[in-house]
This record gives sequence, structure tokens and C-alpha cells, in this order.
Amino acid sequence: MMNLKQKKVLILAVRAGELMMKNGAEIYRVEDTITRICKACGIPYVEVFATPTGIFVSVDGTDKEGDMHTYIKRIKGGSDTDLSKISRINQFSRKFTTTDLSIEDGMEILKEIDKAPPHPLPVRLLGAALVASFFSLLFGGNVIDFFCAFIIGAGCYLLSGLLKKIDVNFFIRGVCCCAVAAFFALTISQTLYTANYNAIIIGSLMIFVPGVAITNAIRDFLSGDMLSGVARVTEASLIAISLAAGAGIVLKLASYISGGIF
Amino acid sequence: MISSFIFAVMATLGFCIIFQVPLKHIPAAAIVGGVGWVINLLCIDHGISSVVACFFAACAVGLFSDICSRFFKDAATIFIIPGILPLVPGSGMYNTMIALVQNDLTRAASVGSQTIFLAGAIALALLVVGGFIRIAVMAKRKIIRPRRHGD
Repeated sequence: MMNLKQKKVLILAVRAGELMMKNGAEIYRVEDTITRICKACGIPYVEVFATPTGIFVSVDGTDKEGDMHTYIKRIKGGSDTDLSKISRINQFSRKFTTTDLSIEDGMEILKEIDKAPPHPLPVRLLGAALVASFFSLLFGGNVIDFFCAFIIGAGCYLLSGLLKKIDVNFFIRGVCCCAVAAFFALTISQTLYTANYNAIIIGSLMIFVPGVAITNAIRDFLSGDMLSGVARVTEASLIAISLAAGAGIVLKLASYISGGIF
Repeated sequence: MISSFIFAVMATLGFCIIFQVPLKHIPAAAIVGGVGWVINLLCIDHGISSVVACFFAACAVGLFSDICSRFFKDAATIFIIPGILPLVPGSGMYNTMIALVQNDLTRAASVGSQTIFLAGAIALALLVVGGFIRIAVMAKRKIIRPRRHGD
């Protein structure tokens, strides 16, 4: 029979790990957090194997008659990077291991962190608009491009959010968002001759660039988690391909229709 | 140069909002992104190839992120992810795609390989900085702890 306390600890630890993984933490941080939480609750033997698509944890108690228990948590759905959650879980695990916080209280705090809403939509749209508009300036845009990219960037981010809500997979999402961005950028550059559609499209594309996947892949490789590193490199390349494909399809179609753009 | 620093800081600020960087860390993270971009530009101005420039810039981002993470006592990822994003070769990706659309395979191959090298440079820089920081931390522990015990 599994010790009830041990089971609760296991659920708490895996929950914390799952939350971190979903919000864009590196593998070693997830494994470290799970091990620390279990050790803090007096479980002497903990073995964790985490990958971006699932977490496996084995624990063994002190009593010789007790069984060894394994919990497998499949992580589904794409990651939705929220760095403030990682920061909060980090602080939580530090607090949990140093003070004698009860397991139930710990679970409550975790639930609270999980439920914490992201920034309100207008603020996030503003963020996306800032990214798109300032990158269009960095890549040689003028003032008109700045304002176009501001609006198109916000629009694309909104579209991406909507598509995510109806569970469209990340590849199609990337294609759609960049296609829409390219379409509007081309339309604007056709009506306003001073606008430079390249700068606008690059700006909008930067919002979706797979920076998190690349960064985490490297940190995984560095700490020896080759499997996760490879998985994340693949994810990053797929996202990059989807973005290029989306913009490419529209530009190609435009060149067929008008003939004269390129 | 100052204007592009401001642009890069603002763009990184946008990423901070999208990725929900905790409010108190946003200024530091945005400045890390701006510094990375400016170092990239400075290196290119001094005739260093764009791949090597990207390497140095990513090194700077990695280093500053680690300093920030130690200063604010929080995960380094929070600073690295937004900071590294201005360096990610989005324009290279786009130009490769344009060359492909125009059926210019030679240019697509050259721009495409350049893009992959840029991404590789970022990766290598983070690996190198991460490795050195680990060595430094280990060395510090090995050197300082015995002294403390000695006292």
C-alpha cells in the first residue's frame, strides 16, 4: 500500500514540474524542483526523468516493505511561455523546502499560481505591437512602416490567440499568422508607395520567432538532456519553417496575381 | 546608435510583456536586450562578420543575464529569453524565404546557411558562457569554502 503522504507529495511535485515545463522552463530546473520537493518531504530516493512531452518520477520510501512508486505525467498541448509563473514556482519551491509548509497549503499555492491570469489582452496586444513596430524600424523601416507594423503586429497576435483557443496546431497557426501579416503588408505597400513591406513583414514575424525553444534547447544540451534538446531544436525549426511558409505563400500568390511586385 | 539602442529596448520590452516577465524584472530584461543588439551593431561597424558579431552579442546577453539573475535572485531564463530574441535571425529567415520565392536558389542557399550560422552562433555563445559560468561558480566554491572552514 502506498503511503498517503507519499502519494500527496508525489502529486504536488509532479504538478509543480508540469507547470514549469508548460511555461517554458529548462529540463534541469524541472527535475531539480521535483527532486527538492520530494527530498524536503522526507522521501530518500527520488529519480526524475523529464522531457518536454512528459515527466516520469519514481519514489521509494524508507520502509523496506514499501513498494517503489512511479508517476507518469504526459504533458500535452504546446507550451505557453509565462516567465512570471516560472519565477513564482521557483520561489515556491525554495520556500517549500526551507520552511515546513504543509502539503495541502503547497497544493493551494500551486493552484493559485496555475490560475493566475496573464496580462489583460490589450496589454499583451500592446506588447506584440511594440515588438513588431520597433523591429520594423530596426530592419530599415520608416515612420509609416512603424505604424503599419504596430497595427498588423497586434492583429496577428490577436489572430494567433484566437487560433490557439480553437486548438489549431502550432504549425498551421504560424502559417496563418504570417500569411495574414504578409497579406496586409503587401496591401498597404500597394496603396501607400512609401511603405516598405519587407520591414513590416519582418517586424510581425519577429513576434512568433522561436526564441524560447532555441534558448531552452541550448540550456538542455548544456546540462546533458540530449533528448529534450533535440526535441526543442526540432520544434524551433518547425516554427521557423511555418513562419517562412506563411509569408512565402502570400508573396508567391501576389507575384502571380500582379506579376510586377518582384 | 542611441536610437537603435532605444528601438531594441522597446522591442525587448514588447517581448517581456508577451512572455509575462515579472514586473520588477522588466527594466533589467529590456536593457539586456538593448545591450545585446548594440554590441551586435558595434561589432558589425568594426568590420567583424555578422556571425561573429552575433556570437559576441549573445555572449554579452548570457553574461548580463547571469549577473541579473544573481543580483535579483531569480532564474536566468527570465532575462535570457527576452534578451536573446532581438538577435534571433528573423530577417535572415525572411530573406531566405524571399530568395526561394523568387526561385533564386543560389542566394537562398547562401542567405539560408548564413541564417543557420547565426542561430548556431547564438547557441554556441550561450553554451560557452554557460560553461564558463559553471566553471567560475565551481572554482569559487572550491576556493572560498575551505577558507571559511579554516576560519
